[in-house]
Amino acid sequence: MNGFTKIGLRVSLCLVVSFALPSGAAGTVDDAQSFALQAAEPYVKEGFQVREDYWGGDLGSGEKKAVRQQLFKGNEYWFWMGTEVERAKISVHIYDSEGKLAEQPDSWEKGHFAAAHVIPKATGSYFIIVAVEESPEERTHWALVYGFR
Amino acid sequence: MISFSKSLKFSVIALLGVTLYAGAVPAPQRIDVKQMSKKVENVVVPLPNEIFGALNKLGSVNWREFVRTEKSSNFTERPRIALLLGTVIADGFIAVQAEDAPAVKEIGQRVLSLSKGIGVGNSITPHAKAITEAADKRKWENVRQELDRTQSSVQAAMNEVHDEKLSQLVSLGGWLRGTQVLTSVVTKHFSADGAELLHQPDLLVHFQTQLQAMPEFNLPIIRDIQGALGEVRPLVDVGTSRISPESVRKINEITNRLDSGIVTRD
Repeated sequence: MNGFTKIGLRVSLCLVVSFALPSGAAGTVDDAQSFALQAAEPYVKEGFQVREDYWGGDLGSGEKKAVRQQLFKGNEYWFWMGTEVERAKISVHIYDSEGKLAEQPDSWEKGHFAAAHVIPKATGSYFIIVAVEESPEERTHWALVYGFR
Repeated sequence: MISFSKSLKFSVIALLGVTLYAGAVPAPQRIDVKQMSKKVENVVVPLPNEIFGALNKLGSVNWREFVRTEKSSNFTERPRIALLLGTVIADGFIAVQAEDAPAVKEIGQRVLSLSKGIGVGNSITPHAKAITEAADKRKWENVRQELDRTQSSVQAAMNEVHDEKLSQLVSLGGWLRGTQVLTSVVTKHFSADGAELLHQPDLLVHFQTQLQAMPEFNLPIIRDIQGALGEVRPLVDVGTSRISPESVRKINEITNRLDSGIVTRD
């Protein structure tokens, strides 16, 4: 089975999960990861290699968290965030080591999915800021995956 | 005056925009990183192929020169096996860059045998099989994906049995081998952009912090790596200045020495 088929299976699994979970049901970070991978899936066709490692956790409404990531000039990166809480609104943004917004204008957010695109101008550490902007849940699981090409 | 059809077109575009960015709060143009630094999560260590991909874009690299398949020493100490495992997985990425199918297959088997040595062989068997199959079909993207999955599965299996420190050594071994090859390439054909790929000061701090929390792994190679990271850090922590050819050469010497210590018995 090739990698793409496996990602396809994961996406199918996400769809099953999204139908199986009643609104407000307690999910897990793994469920959130499935949604982050679902957001990544179209980009795999464009040649992005999606890393197996990912970040995850839970946040309250209006809370933010920063993760730090080493990026290399010459590569192009997408960071995809997802949550299983369908009525949540989430966001992800990328800043350079000086704290300046570094993402491309095609970065997007749509309900319980969000993505940020960066073509690093310099090799070094970048800050990825994830946030749960709104959520009907007290705590909302989130997961962040990334890919590069 | 705007015609009805034009007006309708604008409305549809505007509606689509509103739908996609509904409720989106514009990101601030600047954040206070000093405040953020206290709240950051652990870094994800980049895979060697992430660095190799960037290196490849700077010019063609003779990856065959760096392919290594000879079996290294057999160790019984689990920290040594973990370091070696990370190094061998990195060798797998090098063999993929060189599109060397026999080397990829041999490395896949070596990864399996080392994983068994450390007690996580079961989780690796399907990946080793997938690596062999993909190498036979010369599906290099699939091999890369399987190598990433292999490392991830090894580390997940280690974390499950609370061997997080061994899992960290796997990442460190891979990073050291990747840095050794990166500095070899850049030493031979120096470019400022190639040297800039070494600008990874936060990763150095990350590894140093992890090693400091492993006093129970009182092995010469671990102490050597700890000392070496202290030597490398000032060479790459140069702020907005450039990393010099001399620094690249020095890091290459250091990582050559460490690699030799990882793959051979004391």
